[in-house]
Amino acid sequence: MVVYTFAVDQFNRTILIFAVALGAILIALALGQISNSGGPLTPYVDQLSTFATVFLGIFIEAAPFLLLGTIASGIVEVFFNHDDVARLIPRDPVRGAVAGAMLGFFFPVCECGVVPLTRRLFKKGLPLSVGVAFLLAAPVFNPIAIASTIAAFGVGKMLFLRVGLTLLIAIVVGLIFAAQKHPEGMLRPNAWAPISGGAEIAADSTVAATPFVRPSLRAGLPQVVGVAVDEFFEMGRYLILGSLLAALMQTVVTQSSLLGLSAGPIISVLVLITLAVVLSICSTVDAFIALAFTGAFTTGSVVAFLVFGPMVDIKSTIMYLGVFKRRAVVYLILLPLIMTILAAVFINLNTTW
Amino acid sequence: MSTRTYRALQILILAALGAFLLQKIWSGTLYWYINQRFAFLTLLASLGLLAMAQISFNALRQKREAGLSPKQAPEHDHIHDHSHDQDHSHERLPIWGLVIVALPVLLGLIVPAKPLGSAAIANRGVNTSASLVASGSTKAATLDMSPEDRNVLDWVRAFNFSSDPQTFVGQSADVIGFVYHDKRLGETQFLAGRFTVNCCVADAMAIGVVTEWADSKTLADNSWVRVRGTIKVAEVDGKPIPLIVAESVEAVPPPELPYLFP
Repeated sequence: MVVYTFAVDQFNRTILIFAVALGAILIALALGQISNSGGPLTPYVDQLSTFATVFLGIFIEAAPFLLLGTIASGIVEVFFNHDDVARLIPRDPVRGAVAGAMLGFFFPVCECGVVPLTRRLFKKGLPLSVGVAFLLAAPVFNPIAIASTIAAFGVGKMLFLRVGLTLLIAIVVGLIFAAQKHPEGMLRPNAWAPISGGAEIAADSTVAATPFVRPSLRAGLPQVVGVAVDEFFEMGRYLILGSLLAALMQTVVTQSSLLGLSAGPIISVLVLITLAVVLSICSTVDAFIALAFTGAFTTGSVVAFLVFGPMVDIKSTIMYLGVFKRRAVVYLILLPLIMTILAAVFINLNTTW
Repeated sequence: MSTRTYRALQILILAALGAFLLQKIWSGTLYWYINQRFAFLTLLASLGLLAMAQISFNALRQKREAGLSPKQAPEHDHIHDHSHDQDHSHERLPIWGLVIVALPVLLGLIVPAKPLGSAAIANRGVNTSASLVASGSTKAATLDMSPEDRNVLDWVRAFNFSSDPQTFVGQSADVIGFVYHDKRLGETQFLAGRFTVNCCVADAMAIGVVTEWADSKTLADNSWVRVRGTIKVAEVDGKPIPLIVAESVEAVPPPELPYLFP
C-alpha cells in the first residue's frame, strides 16, 4: 500500500513538472506572438520585455562580482582559522573600526560581493564593529572603485570627498555598532561565529571542539567551490530579488519626474540619494553615471550619490536582510543616510563650485 | 527534498546560468544588457559557473561511488560550516530558493528578449543636450571626426564641446536611430534616438537628434531609420542643440549593437 502511494506521488510529481514546463513554453510562445503582432496588447508585452531586460542587465552586470565575493568567502572559510582573524584584527574598537574600513583595499569587491564575504568573516569571529565598517567602506575603498572614480572625475576633490566621507561614515557607524554588547542581537543566526563574546560562552559550547586543519591547495579547491556554491545560492537569492525590485521600480517610476527636481541644496541631495537607491548600480562603475549629473546637480548631491549608493541600495538592502536582524538593517540604512545628507548639504552650503 | 536532489538541482541551475550567459555572448545579444567593456567579466562569470557546476558534480559523484550519504561524508563537513549546531540553513532552503536563483534563465526564456526601445523612453525621458562622460581625448576625437561618421551621440557631444555650434551648420549628417515622437516637437519633426549605456541597461539614457522631415507622421515609433541631411542649430532651454534637416529617411533593420557605449 505504501509502495503504491509512493508510486502515485512520483507519477503526480512527474506530471506536474511536465505541466509546468508545457505551460511555460505556451506562455513564451504566446508572449512572442503578441510582441510581434502589433496588436492592442503589444505595449504591455513590451513593458514586460523592458522589465526583463533591465532585470537581466543588473543581474548580468552583478553576477561576476557576486561570484568573486562568494569565492573570496570560500577561501576565507577553508584557509583561514578563527585565530587568524582574531590575531590580525586590533582589539580596541577605534583601531578595529579603522582597520575594518581599510580592509577593503585588499578585497576588491563591490556591494554585491562584500555581503557574503562579511558574513563569512563574522563566522570566523570578526567583531561586529569591524565587519560593519568593512561592509560600508569596502565597495568604495577598493582599487577598482577608486580607479573608476579617477577615470570619471580625475584625481581631485570629488575623489577625496567620496573616499574620505565613505571612510568617515563607515568608521563612525562601526563604532556605534561597537557599543553593542551582544552581536547575536544584530546578526541572524547564520552569521554567528561558533564562539563569540569570550570565555563564558565558549565554556558551554560544544562547537569549539572542531579542530582546524589547513588543507593543501589541491584538496582545498573543491572545498572552496563547495562553500562558494552554497554562498552563491544563499546570496544570489537576495541579489535576484533586489534586481527584480530595482527593475520594477525603473519600469514604474518615471525618472524624468525625479530629475526635474535638480535645484536646491537639500532637494537635490535627496533626489540623487533616491536615484542611487533605485538604480542599484554597482559601486565599481557608478562614478560614470554620476558624471552625467554633474552639470545639472549640486556638488554635494553628486557626492551623496557616490557615497550613499554603494552603502545602501535596493539589492544590497535585501542582501543585508540575509545577514543582519531587521533592527540592525534599519541602523545600517538610517545612520549612513543621516550622515550623508548632513555632509552633502554642508558641502552645498559652504562651497561655491 | 533529499540533500542529494537539492545538490543535483543546484548543479543543474549553475550549469544553466553559465550556459545562458554563454549563449548571450555567442549570439551577441549580451550587448542588449551591458556595456561592451564588461563582456569579458561576463565571459569569466559564465566559465566560472560552469566550472563550479563541474567541480560540484564530481564531488557528488564521488560521494555516490563511495556509497556515503552526503551527511556522513566527513570531507564535506565544511559545507555545513564548522558551526554545525547553528547553521543548517541550506537544509531549510525550500524549493523556492532554487527557483529564485533560476529566475534569470526562466525569465530570459519566457519573456521575449528585446533591447530597450522607445517604449522605455516614457519612463526615462530623452536628452537632446546631455553633458555626457568624456575625457579630453574623446572630446578632441569627437570634434575632429568627419561629419558623416558622427552618430547620434557624437552629434550631441560635439554640440556640448564646441564653443561655437554655428560652425556645424551646413555639415552633412548620416545617422541611424529609432523614431520617437516627442510631445514637445512639431508635426513635421521626430527624434532620431539612441540609448547610451555606461554600465548596464539600468543606467540607460535616451539621447536624440531632432529631425525635420515632412512625412514625420507616417513613421512608426520605435522603427529604425537612417537619416541623411544637413545640420542646423536649434535651441532648447537656451542651449544649442543639433537639428537635422532630412533629405532622406529610409527604414533600416535594427543595428546589431542597439545602444551606443560612451
